[in-house]
Amino acid sequence: MSANLSGNDGLRIVETGSVPKGAVVINGLPDVGLVGLLAASHIISDLKLREVGAIESDLLPPMIVLHGGEPKAPFRIFSGTGLVVVISETVIPGSLIRPLVNGLVDWARDKNVRLMLSLGGMAVANRQDIDVPKVFAALSAKELEPRLNGAAEILEEGYIVGAYGLLLRKCVATGLPAITLLTQSYYNYPDPEAAGAALTAVNKILDLKIDVSELLKRGEEIRLRSKDMMHRTHEEMNKMNKSHEYDLPPLYG
Amino acid sequence: MSTESRVNTSPPHGSGWNAAASAIQPLYNLFVAAEEVVLTVDLPYVNQKSVKLKLPTKDSIEVYAETTKRITFHDLGANHRHGEFTSYHAIIRMPVPVDEKRATRKFKRGLLEVHLPRTR
Repeated sequence: MSANLSGNDGLRIVETGSVPKGAVVINGLPDVGLVGLLAASHIISDLKLREVGAIESDLLPPMIVLHGGEPKAPFRIFSGTGLVVVISETVIPGSLIRPLVNGLVDWARDKNVRLMLSLGGMAVANRQDIDVPKVFAALSAKELEPRLNGAAEILEEGYIVGAYGLLLRKCVATGLPAITLLTQSYYNYPDPEAAGAALTAVNKILDLKIDVSELLKRGEEIRLRSKDMMHRTHEEMNKMNKSHEYDLPPLYG
Repeated sequence: MSTESRVNTSPPHGSGWNAAASAIQPLYNLFVAAEEVVLTVDLPYVNQKSVKLKLPTKDSIEVYAETTKRITFHDLGANHRHGEFTSYHAIIRMPVPVDEKRATRKFKRGLLEVHLPRTR
């Protein structure tokens, strides 16, 4: 295996609270429609998860984010009720993706994580006409299909560009069970409705009762508040050829 | 640093906020197809009736829409920023010539979609 699949280039996962062993990790990184970030942020507030750590790297822009007057790292880990949620409130530069994936998977294995559940968006041209966005799943192993509990349709062929694509491959290589949920959404507009559909799937898969009504009710506010984050994410997605995902799948697999 | 990256077109205070006009720039996207250009604009807090489209010059389209309420940056969680806006405004360059007279539009889920037939 190439060196790219193992090195983590000085990525540091700094724990400031206790991270449970054997948890499910939910990843909410900014990408298409900000689906993952909006959904994961909602889980954190709805289940009142506590901040337990941060992901730090010299490859991240030199910045902090203030919450309630307290300086915080933009890339943080939250935990509670047997869940661990990872969110990034800054755009993840392409150069950070490999070290991030390697560092995150090594850390997850150290914590005996039982499932990596990543949330993202899948752009569709007619999103405006879709009332209930469909959720698709890419799995690290076929045996995980029953875990979906009918909440998502299996993605059989295609490309996944960015952190979630590499994460899935690294999980296969290390035997860590992983499900990546991609929900139909706008490409470069924040999509709280798609985040709601993703959370409905998460509820089914993990047998949780996350209330999505608040997320949907605050839809317009969330769209406006996350406008600038979406804009920056869009620029980064263009750089890493995210639109590759809408290409026809390769002929031979 | 390349020449392009040194040319910063957005104002330093972000959000594309024009204080004098009490407007911010919305997120938009242009798609150039074989027969038409499709423009979409994300307009939360907007009623369809307040959306105005203009073609100020041959190669650009102007979108203006009033919001249903006055929105402050404080409402959006930026307590340190003073200011408010009551509309969206954007002037968007058309990459190919279009026939604005035959433009069709729809507004659904707070998203404006305009189809502009290409003239060549």
